[in-house]
Amino acid sequence: MEKKAEWQWEISAQRPWFRFNLRELFQYKDLLFRFVRRDIIASYQQTILGPVWVFLQPLFTTFVYFVIFHRVAKLSTDGIPPLLFYLPGIIIWSYYADCISTTMNTFQYNAYIFNKVYFPRLIVPLSSVLFHSFRISIQLLLFLVVCLFYFVKGTPIYLNLQLLLIPFLILLTACFALGCGLIISVLTAKYRDLDNIMQFLLRLFMFAAPVVYPASLIPQKYAIFFWLNPLTPIIEIFRSSILKPHPLPLGYLLLSVLTTGIILMTGVILFNKREIQIMDVI
Amino acid sequence: MAKKLLEAKDISKYYRLGALGSRSFKEDLRDWWTGRNTRFKETESESPQHIWALQNVNFEVTQGEVLGLIGKNGAGKSTLLKIISRITLPTTGRICGNGRIASLLEVGTGFHGELTGRENIYLNGHIMGMKKKEIERKFDEIIDFSGVSRFLDTPVKRYSSGMYVRLAFAVAAHLDPEILIIDEVLAVGDAEFQMKCLDKIKSISREDGKTILFVSHNIQTLRNTCNRALVLDKGRIIASGDSESVLAGYMHKSGEQFLGTDYTLQTVMPGNEMIRMRKVELIPGYLNDSRVIDVRTELRIEFEFEYDVEEPGQILALLQVYNDSGELIFELSSQNYHLRRGIVRGESLIPGNFLNDGLYYVSIAIVRNSVVRLFYLESCLSFHVEDYKNSRDGYGKWAGVVRPAFPISLRQEPE
Repeated sequence: MEKKAEWQWEISAQRPWFRFNLRELFQYKDLLFRFVRRDIIASYQQTILGPVWVFLQPLFTTFVYFVIFHRVAKLSTDGIPPLLFYLPGIIIWSYYADCISTTMNTFQYNAYIFNKVYFPRLIVPLSSVLFHSFRISIQLLLFLVVCLFYFVKGTPIYLNLQLLLIPFLILLTACFALGCGLIISVLTAKYRDLDNIMQFLLRLFMFAAPVVYPASLIPQKYAIFFWLNPLTPIIEIFRSSILKPHPLPLGYLLLSVLTTGIILMTGVILFNKREIQIMDVI
Repeated sequence: MAKKLLEAKDISKYYRLGALGSRSFKEDLRDWWTGRNTRFKETESESPQHIWALQNVNFEVTQGEVLGLIGKNGAGKSTLLKIISRITLPTTGRICGNGRIASLLEVGTGFHGELTGRENIYLNGHIMGMKKKEIERKFDEIIDFSGVSRFLDTPVKRYSSGMYVRLAFAVAAHLDPEILIIDEVLAVGDAEFQMKCLDKIKSISREDGKTILFVSHNIQTLRNTCNRALVLDKGRIIASGDSESVLAGYMHKSGEQFLGTDYTLQTVMPGNEMIRMRKVELIPGYLNDSRVIDVRTELRIEFEFEYDVEEPGQILALLQVYNDSGELIFELSSQNYHLRRGIVRGESLIPGNFLNDGLYYVSIAIVRNSVVRLFYLESCLSFHVEDYKNSRDGYGKWAGVVRPAFPISLRQEPE
């Protein structure tokens, strides 16, 4: 019998629950960035406006929401100029929705690669999130430009230090979306019914976050459930970063970090455990 | 003793067949309820719904050897490769290994049509596990090998299929793993490029001392490249050892007579842009009902291909007959024909009382203007010539490569 130490690696029937090989993931960082690059190049291939679409999408959406929710439905914007009110919600929400809807289909979309070659599968959902992060960073620039525009125009807005929190808020959104996406990707791999339900739930979920209305509109007795949604403090803090300095809902933010952490952990562990077995049923 | 690089112990793989739907969901629920593990039902024998793709497979790979893996369709070759490549998990057993493994179960995995050749070299290289620096170092070599340097900045979706495969194989050929796993990816591209690929594989193993695991249907190719071979049948290893004896045994045992195929029934007809083989067939003129090819049997070879070259030119067909040990016994060449594009039929006749008993295979080449080899279909036929003895023949195997029945007579000279 040989000693175990003789071998560098081993493949066996069962995968342990907590086998998270960070070093291996790091070895594949070149692949991670190459995937991001591929997505960026491929998505603007043969378009005339190219990356300009990254700006246009949120602007169009803002316009539609402005008409429907502000003008027609007369929902309050908490006294913030409508463009500045809708933009943060739309940016964060579309980032979340994009991340989740690509990561939740990781196995289905990439089966043709996964069936032919091994690499840590986590690279793929990570690269999708990074790709959307590239888009959201451009959209943030757009947001700043709009802010400056209002600032110059003399609208009472304050560019306070809270703005520095925004990268952190985006990271938090990314982790939350990645966690959810990983969990759903594992659950929907075998039976795709769940996939259809998820599409529907995702659409509903938008209305559970303060995207088209302010959090202040929620009746006090439901507020606690509303704020349990990690996206609520994220959007609210983002939105208020251009207002007069005021106390942050730090408690809720902490709760959001905690929830996100648990979901992300669950997602990564589940994904790692099942990533190879899923290939037999995909 | 050479260092062991890979060791597989008791590998089995169990598959559930059939569509996944409400029925399999019910089964899953039941298994979950009764606490049974769906992936492992040792007690249950093979049923129409379940199959053991591999059963108790054990083998080792030592450094520097080229191990061939052969078996019929469905023998479990691909499953085994997938397990070694960590694409799927074994149901039982384990594989231990040293060093980096690169598997070529396909060339050009992850190629993206919208990206340029240059981008795809990096993308594919990274997917195969190469680092950025490694690719940069070998970039010129890769381009050189692929021969598509002019199209480097064109999206690969505009490539011809031949160029695509060249580029893809070029990346693969420059991987630098300790163990290289190759599935039958070489049945692509034109003959010249196929030869280049095989040569590359040989040089990888001989000059760089790399360890290779090679899967193919093609006995001739395996014979030329491997020094050890495994035969898989219905998920079990039924023979292993040095490639010469194992492969010869495989052909004899399975009777591996291969009297022809109608390629038009297959998804892909072998060939390239200019030639597509439609059919190759060997029709023995059996002498009696036993339907055995023996030394007296006349053998007719028929083949049919699509010819698609616009410019006028002449083509000829070349038939090569090899024996068991890969020696070329003889070569037949047709005369040059002026042919238009369309379907071309050819036939030839090997007379009875010519070949000695043994195993033979036939390769066909189509040559243009006497020098340009358009396509080469290696070992597309194989047949076994049985011995035939009549009373005056004596015992033992006839010596010699051929066994013609030229007259030979003796005469008593007057004293």
